[in-house]
Amino acid sequence: LIVMTNENVLFDGLNEAEGEILKEILRRKEILLQEIQRLKDEIRDVDEDIEQMEETEETRSSNQANQMLAGVKKFNADAKKGMKYLLEHGHIENNPKSVAQFLYRGEHLNKSAIGDYLGERNDFNIEVLKEFVICHEFTNKCLDKSLRQFLWSFRLPGEAQKIDRMMEAFAARYCECNPGVFRTDDTCYVLSFAIIMLNTSLHNPSVKDKPALERFILMNRGINDGADLPNELLSVIYESIKKEPFKIPEDDGSNLSTAFFNPDKEGWLLKQGGRYKTWKRRWFILSDNCLYYFEYTSDKEPKGIIPLENLQIREVTDPRKPNCFEMYLHEDGLMQTIKAAKTDSEGRVVEGKHSTYRMSAATIDDKEDWIRCIRKSISKDPYYDMIAARKRKAEKTENNQL
Amino acid sequence: MGNATQKLFSSLLGKQEMRIMMVGLDAAGKTTILYKLKLGEIITTIPTIGFNVKTVEYKNISFTVWDVGGQDKNRPLWRHYIQNIQGLIFVVDSNDRERIAEAKEELYRLISEDELREASVLVYANKQDLPNAMTVAAVTDKIGLHSLRNREWYIQATCATTGDGLYEGLDWLVCNQIKKARN
Repeated sequence: LIVMTNENVLFDGLNEAEGEILKEILRRKEILLQEIQRLKDEIRDVDEDIEQMEETEETRSSNQANQMLAGVKKFNADAKKGMKYLLEHGHIENNPKSVAQFLYRGEHLNKSAIGDYLGERNDFNIEVLKEFVICHEFTNKCLDKSLRQFLWSFRLPGEAQKIDRMMEAFAARYCECNPGVFRTDDTCYVLSFAIIMLNTSLHNPSVKDKPALERFILMNRGINDGADLPNELLSVIYESIKKEPFKIPEDDGSNLSTAFFNPDKEGWLLKQGGRYKTWKRRWFILSDNCLYYFEYTSDKEPKGIIPLENLQIREVTDPRKPNCFEMYLHEDGLMQTIKAAKTDSEGRVVEGKHSTYRMSAATIDDKEDWIRCIRKSISKDPYYDMIAARKRKAEKTENNQL
Repeated sequence: MGNATQKLFSSLLGKQEMRIMMVGLDAAGKTTILYKLKLGEIITTIPTIGFNVKTVEYKNISFTVWDVGGQDKNRPLWRHYIQNIQGLIFVVDSNDRERIAEAKEELYRLISEDELREASVLVYANKQDLPNAMTVAAVTDKIGLHSLRNREWYIQATCATTGDGLYEGLDWLVCNQIKKARN
């Protein structure tokens, strides 16, 4: 008997019953295979969906983080404007307590900016100041230690009125934590103010006349609700301040390192030199519409900075390196030198000499991702073209006059 | 001993020191003024935490200017600082009509301090660049300078942001100081 299957394979030597069974088996196999394929397709679709969902989630949260970071940067440059931005975008709840806690955490915040904000004279800021002091715990700590702790969390502004408000708020909190230490809150406040004066006199090089302990004691006569504070207390404080001026932690809010926290993209690329067309491996960070490059990942200061404003980007093929792309500035049909800065071999910051920046990525995927990310960062400033046109016009007139 | 030697040297070199306090309401422009007074300043890398203080060398006189003020409760503290104060710079925001009466009160309160009996009063009528600013004559009137008795005073129109008028004011303090020293 010969059995013909749908695959046109011949099966020999089977009886009719066996042939039927075989046919049935093959038919079922076919059905199962189809079922498997259907399931596979379904799984792939679901996988894609999940991936897409994760991506949106990621972009959303990274957008939010970027916005937060932008707000922090604004705050560090101008406390008032930055806070307005952070409140408007809902990164901080609009109440004194939330703002105070945000300032107290101080993540990536510049200490001077915190001081500026807390020193403002309007009602909301004064409420924030009060809440900010409450974030500090002074129980069972002596006054000078507590003051050190307080002044560690922001940079005390130099204006007398601001210092005055801050010491008043500080003293209220200190007395709340340590009832009975001073007769009144005012005693603590005047003494705290006197300590700031002492720190200024002893440590500011502009003050030539350094007060002795006796003068400090004399100065504080009668501030304890008409009575004197014990000389021992004043002398301990005097010695402590004399030995160790008030300090704030090293500011990290004002330098570039915050720009590199949470970048849009970072990674190794080969970069072609401007004058000498050699290739060097550099660590690139894309952040804030700027491309920064470093010699090592651990470097704090970038070797070069390329602002991406008005630049264009394209894929190129290079005879020597794979996966290349380049950035260029194209105006009036002419290639222009890209506005950029780099540190030369002697450590000086000089203007870049590139009319194009050519890079080589390790893989095609990496190249495409860099192009995609950089393209997203390139922002077109409409004023730029206008100003450039005016500048050229002015130059032409000047040349004509010459 | 060290102090005496220093004094001797100063007098040989003809160098004088003058201690000045600068007061005025919030936002009158004191900090900007301090930043603008740049001549011969000591530049430090790490600014000291505390009050704004600046030493300025001008016309062979070393001015030490303190930004001071605050509430009355702190005034007992200042008394010990102002004992040797020769000059008081009072900064007025010429554009702030609402608080000019408050400024007058503050000025009168200060000059009633016994320790400031000898101090010459220099008023900076600041923010003269603003279109709505009161004139020097108007500020003089509003803060009652004409009613001051037995007091050397001078009012100078200033714009702290450009520095206009700041040194003219110091010139007056210098002249006045020399005059006092002669007497």
